Amino acid sequence: MRPKACSPACANASQVLPDTMDFVVTTLLNALTLISILMLVGLGLAISFGLMNVTNLAHGEFVTVGAFAVYFVQSVGGSFWLGLLAAPIAGAVVGCILEFAIIRHLYSRPVSTVLATWGVSLILQQGLELTFGLGAKPVTPPIEGTLDLFFTVYPAYRLILIAIAMLTLLGVVLLISRTSFGLDIRTVIQNREMAEGVGINTRRTYAIAFTFGAAIAGLAGGLVAPLAIVLPQMGVNYLANAFFVVIVGGVGSIGGLVAGSVFVGGLTSVLNYQISPSLAQAIVLLAAIVAVRLRPNGLFNGASR
Amino acid sequence: MIARDRNWLVIFAVCVTLAIVYPFFADGYQLTVIRDALIFGLFAASLDFFWGRTGILCFGHAAFFGIGGYIMALTTLNDAIPLGSVLGILGAIAGAAFVAAIIGYFLFFGGIRGSYFTIVTLAMGVICQQAAVSWSSVTGGDSGLIGIPPIAFDLGGLHVDLSQDLPSYIFVAAIVAVVVLALWSISRGRWGMVLTAIQDNEVRVAALGHNAPLRLLATFVLSAAIAGLAGALYVCMAGLVAPDLSGLLLSTEVIVWVAVGGRGTLLGPVLGAIAIQRAQQTISSFNPSLWPLLLGCVFVIIVFVLPDGILSIYARLKSLFNGRRPAQ
Repeated sequence: MRPKACSPACANASQVLPDTMDFVVTTLLNALTLISILMLVGLGLAISFGLMNVTNLAHGEFVTVGAFAVYFVQSVGGSFWLGLLAAPIAGAVVGCILEFAIIRHLYSRPVSTVLATWGVSLILQQGLELTFGLGAKPVTPPIEGTLDLFFTVYPAYRLILIAIAMLTLLGVVLLISRTSFGLDIRTVIQNREMAEGVGINTRRTYAIAFTFGAAIAGLAGGLVAPLAIVLPQMGVNYLANAFFVVIVGGVGSIGGLVAGSVFVGGLTSVLNYQISPSLAQAIVLLAAIVAVRLRPNGLFNGASR
Repeated sequence: MIARDRNWLVIFAVCVTLAIVYPFFADGYQLTVIRDALIFGLFAASLDFFWGRTGILCFGHAAFFGIGGYIMALTTLNDAIPLGSVLGILGAIAGAAFVAAIIGYFLFFGGIRGSYFTIVTLAMGVICQQAAVSWSSVTGGDSGLIGIPPIAFDLGGLHVDLSQDLPSYIFVAAIVAVVVLALWSISRGRWGMVLTAIQDNEVRVAALGHNAPLRLLATFVLSAAIAGLAGALYVCMAGLVAPDLSGLLLSTEVIVWVAVGGRGTLLGPVLGAIAIQRAQQTISSFNPSLWPLLLGCVFVIIVFVLPDGILSIYARLKSLFNGRRPAQ
């Protein structure tokens, strides 16, 4: 395809173009992978933090639990896909227990929620470490190999990850906008007293929404497991980034979630090419702080806090 | 109000007396243990000054402790800098205050309060630790920097050398006592009352003509500066600095010290730090990974059983016994 014999200058030019395209497409797809994961993790957080006003610092552990679920299923001989089915279930179970045991008693005490959920997060981390032992856990992707995308070759699994994430998000949008449970959630969020007045069980709605968010985060953990280093402490990075997604994007809409994910994920993956990851993280943090200073209600919408 | 102030001063005097008497009964090792615990107590008091007065939880306070520690280490390890100890401490205080001022400016003037502030400071702590690990040409990476000399300087005829146990204990104890007393007098005065008012209703305070974000920012910067001072003292006493000093676990532990000791009392967090560190040493000698697990349980227990700290047990018992008498 590429013209081989040419003058040096011409050869150089023709070399640069595919290389740049390769770079651009690879960066875009890397960014898209990260954005997809952030959207899934951020979704649960947007529900609990953004809408229920519950600061759940154990949200990162839903991701960890999902990743460990995949590892566990694989280690006892199951396939990756079975593990990916187990991941959201594991996240939902942990989320449901957390909601019932702790969060629902602390709706009126925000600082206490922070402390208690952080305690749970530590307990879960150490519990996983005591159960599964020290060190990173290997998770093999279901599909090895790459796909030729004309401009570049890209790992096939990452493309599947992006597809699953997009489909999940689409499903959530449909669930919230089309089903009667989605209507309940929207009602409770808009006006809790009024929702109770028209006979919606708000506690139950909160509990289900919270569990649902935990399940999605667990799915994100399962999806990311073959790419990430699966450790009991892996959750905290997703926690911080997901909070940025919600803070930057603003609460209350899927659009804000997408905008926040694109901001945080896009910036992180572009910067990761140029500088060390921790410096990139620091810059993303600063950019997020500046963004919040300039647009206190989020990049996307004007919903009030 | 006045009775409460008197009680606080009495407890403070008792603590100072204990601190003065302690060296007569303790050997060198015990002195250093208490000395290091007191430094963490100072750190806890710095968090309490902000959290206790404003009600806003900073989840990355160890970042300031670590920044102070690294600045101190880099200054004293560099032979070209004269008066390394003095400049190191001043630099540590200034560095921590500077970072707090930048972050605080954007957050407080951007209207970030409550949980949002907690989250951003949490991320700040995570990033500080990562930076300390990955910027290895300066910070020594994972293993940190070792061989940091003890504080020693000659200043205007005053000769200070803290390489021995007793002088270093006295130095640290004196600093902790002075700082805690100063913070207490700030927080019970006009400054503290305005902060309490901001906590209750910021809009109304602003309407009365106070610059609420500026007050919060100044409090945050002062709190961070003292955390930086504590970090600087710690690395000189320990002789090393490592990324853990700015890490999430330390940020978490300092919150527990404050919460257990009693938020808003300034003295309680110092005592909480000393008590919990003793417990930590005992438990960690058993099994190191048990400690974070217990720490997690302590968080949950505090929230549900003792929301006002250990000192509140005394108040509860008192109100139990005085139940039938009219309130005074």
